[in-house]
Amino acid sequence: MTIRDQDIVQIRTAKADRLESIYLPEVIKGFGTTMRHFFTSFGAGKTSKTMQYPEVRREDLKLEDGGMEVKNFRGFHRLNRDEQGRVKCVACMMCPTICPAKCIHIEAAASPWDDREKYPAKFEIDELRCIYCGMCEEACPVDAIELTQAYDIVGLSRSEMVFDKEKLLRIYDETVAKKPM
Amino acid sequence: MPKPDFLTAQFLTNAITIGIVVHVLLVSAGLSIYLERKISAYMQDRIGPNRTGFDLGLPLLKQLFRGFGFWGLGQSLADGLKMFLKEDYTPRNVDKVLFMLAPGIIVIPALMSFAVIPWGGTFAFPGFVMPVLGWEIAAADVQVLGANVSIGLIYMLAVASLGIYGVALGSWASNNKYSFLGGLRASAQMLSYEIPMGLCLMTVLLITGSLLPSAIIDWQISNGWLIISQPIAGVMLFICMLAECNRAPFDNAECEGELVAGYHTEYGSMRFGLFALAEYIHMITNSALFATVFLGGWTLIPFVPVPGLRPEDVGIVAVLAKFAVLFGKAALLVCFMIAIRWTLPRLRYDQVMQMGWQAMIPLSLIIVIANAFLTFYGLTSTVAMLVANVAILAVILAVQPFLPRANTNRKIRIAGSRFSPLEDEIVQAAPAAAYAADDPRRTQVTTGVM
Repeated sequence: MTIRDQDIVQIRTAKADRLESIYLPEVIKGFGTTMRHFFTSFGAGKTSKTMQYPEVRREDLKLEDGGMEVKNFRGFHRLNRDEQGRVKCVACMMCPTICPAKCIHIEAAASPWDDREKYPAKFEIDELRCIYCGMCEEACPVDAIELTQAYDIVGLSRSEMVFDKEKLLRIYDETVAKKPM
Repeated sequence: MPKPDFLTAQFLTNAITIGIVVHVLLVSAGLSIYLERKISAYMQDRIGPNRTGFDLGLPLLKQLFRGFGFWGLGQSLADGLKMFLKEDYTPRNVDKVLFMLAPGIIVIPALMSFAVIPWGGTFAFPGFVMPVLGWEIAAADVQVLGANVSIGLIYMLAVASLGIYGVALGSWASNNKYSFLGGLRASAQMLSYEIPMGLCLMTVLLITGSLLPSAIIDWQISNGWLIISQPIAGVMLFICMLAECNRAPFDNAECEGELVAGYHTEYGSMRFGLFALAEYIHMITNSALFATVFLGGWTLIPFVPVPGLRPEDVGIVAVLAKFAVLFGKAALLVCFMIAIRWTLPRLRYDQVMQMGWQAMIPLSLIIVIANAFLTFYGLTSTVAMLVANVAILAVILAVQPFLPRANTNRKIRIAGSRFSPLEDEIVQAAPAAAYAADDPRRTQVTTGVM
């Protein structure tokens, strides 16, 4: 895409005046700025912007202090359970269909329970492929798949980051207190 | 076995001083890396390294130091350990000998040049008899420095400029065009800034009449610090030192943007570590030299003799106090250099050269000539020299706008480009792309087609 002539803005920098052209006064001015920042942020002072991550977490901070809006944060997935502790999913294949990253793999099987026809015998989400768009959550007709606020689950290999049904249910068990279904 | 002639009180003091100062320098070079990271962090509203302690990842030590972070002081130790444990990689097609030698060649001059800094003034060496050999060392007043040579400043200049060999050889041996350009730049920069540096030191020489750093300090004790009476020369010497250390804003040799780290692109592990170490040792020794020559060495307050820091205090406590004062001044100057690095943007290469040849060298020549006249007529009091300096500055500021200026930053037209078309060439100024079809401005644009 070529740039149009009318979009080109020609900027002429001002010529350095007499004081500016001997550099040193400007150098001292710039030095004042950095020194001000040095002394105001010294020892995590008032202009210091760093957050001590593992001790301080964004979800614990207020929004105006750079905190995270947990209500609409899209983190790792979980598979919800129903009241009897069974997986809620009915293996309708809506989420793998809508998934733009094609990271959800479901193997459906005949349900052992009477209230539904199918259930997922295997349910795998490749968390490294996932783009965390939340479309699976919206597509789900039974609110079985959900995104949590968890963002700090790590793995030492790629295969470890492909979460299976057990792991997704475990994430549900751990996050259900924080984010009720 | 008779006592060898060279074994005098001065020789023993030199040996002990070297032994102590080398270790102090190496440790403080490591610490100044920590300092650099910390100062830059605070300047940029960050916190910097604050977690690495001294547990080295060992569970036992970790338990011992539990809950105590040491403010990240272990960072430079951890960095060094990492450098040692990394793979010592040598690329193919490099000049193996020079490639191995270069990091050493850059460290050795950096470690040599502190030898003439008078760290502790005069020391009354007590005479003693060596236990087993029975040699008697006579008591004497000795100078506390690495080498008591009479050509102090010249030695300093000579050795400091050797440091460029490491950069030049390393860049040449790397067999890498970027590194080579970095080495060329460093050499040219060193050549340009050695001259004003030498001229500034010549000013000092003219006024104090001695090459010995200790004599220069003695002169400053009686006549006030030279930075007060010679501010222009002092500032210029400091700028030249920055250029000689290859420090920002003169770090053209290792600019990341254009030269991908310049002369040490191909170096990894501890060889790279030696380059970094040499830079920081250079900074410390140059700061110490500046403190000696312009900031009164180990004197604490100009014009006022502080008890314990007078020239006639020669005890071991006085020597240690003097060392602490001089080293403190050097440390403050190192902090200042670091602060400059994180304040000023890098000068472009032609700006460095322009500043060197069109500003620093003429100015230092003027200063030398003026001071030669002042010295000839005996006007070496602080007030007279300060007035002369202010007068020189005023004259320069008055004359400078009328001097012919080289036209830098000019736009070089590329013939045949869109902005500078060749004669009777038709340029498609508007996009013919389909995306503009339903753009309301399209009609406007198409009328502009030549």
